[in-house]
Amino acid sequence: MQFNMPSIGKWIALVLSLAIGVAALYFRARIPQPEKADTGFKETKKKRNLLMMAGVLALWVCSGLILGCFGSEKGAFTVSISPARMDIFGFSVSSSVVMTWIVIAVLSLAAVLIRIFAIPRFKETPRGLQLVLETAVGAINDLTKEKYGHPNEGLASYFFAMGALFIGTAIVELVGFRPPTTDLSLTFSYALITFILINVFGIYKRGIKGRAEAYIKPNAIIAPFKLISDLAVPISLACRLFGNMLGGMIVVELLYYALGAFSVGIPALLGLYFNAFHPLIQYFIFINLSLTFIGEAVEEVA
Amino acid sequence: MTDIGLIAIGAGIAVLTGAGAGLGMGIATGKAVEAIARQPEAGGKINALLILGMALTESTAIYGFVISLIMIFTMK
Repeated sequence: MQFNMPSIGKWIALVLSLAIGVAALYFRARIPQPEKADTGFKETKKKRNLLMMAGVLALWVCSGLILGCFGSEKGAFTVSISPARMDIFGFSVSSSVVMTWIVIAVLSLAAVLIRIFAIPRFKETPRGLQLVLETAVGAINDLTKEKYGHPNEGLASYFFAMGALFIGTAIVELVGFRPPTTDLSLTFSYALITFILINVFGIYKRGIKGRAEAYIKPNAIIAPFKLISDLAVPISLACRLFGNMLGGMIVVELLYYALGAFSVGIPALLGLYFNAFHPLIQYFIFINLSLTFIGEAVEEVA
Repeated sequence: MTDIGLIAIGAGIAVLTGAGAGLGMGIATGKAVEAIARQPEAGGKINALLILGMALTESTAIYGFVISLIMIFTMK
């Protein structure tokens, strides 16, 4: 890492922000903590809060300037659509597979811990963790019931587990790793499971004859088109998920590149949207479409 | 013109699919707003349908995006 001497303007900004931050925190410490009975309680409290905010903000700017002024220059912007590969015991394994294993292990551990320690303590009126879990499970159950026709416990629990894995792997980016959701093989495997579920449920509910009859129902001429549109389902699901997640990752990477060494704090706000909220919406759309296709395969054709 | 220039032009043409998707999504949102204005109590159902329709409409733009990415990163 080479050391670049910052210019005089950068030095002034650095020293100024440090001075403002330390001064604000010093003045805040000199104002005593007010009592609730004192006159002017609200004004003193407000003043203390304002000084705290100013101090933290100035010190934050100062830390960003230190990183920016003394950091090394970044190279050209590069993004690859397939993740890096690593070597484990002689096998060439994609890094997204390893990251998915880690996430699966963490989620399984969390599930076991919740089962052992949290579930026996559940009460009649839900609070805290119980409320969160009951809301999530109830939402998935309602969605399955609405799209599939009648409640199906297995389908709902599969989609809940898939959602936990999907959002868990997307949040990995907040820690600085490449999220496995931006790998086409992960999204394609989800879409392939949906494709298998469509056919399994269709055959289970209506038999092989009924499933085959759906292709030639109004007229035998449209059979090839129906076949193609059925085969396009997994491809379209996989490409939609992959494109959305990769697009989000590229936007965040571009912001990191644009800010260079000054990227302190600001990318966290965008990262919260692209790594927590955006995967949730995409996951909702994915299970919505999957359940619609499964419901379509199950219902009788007139 | 070099190869990378032609690839860049092709990728740019591929993401023109976004124009159609934007038009479609705008029309869908407008109709949904009209429907909710006419019948506010059906808002929840209209919202769910709108999100599903948006996802299907958006996929054309996403296909263009994926194709342009593949062109940029795999053709050399």
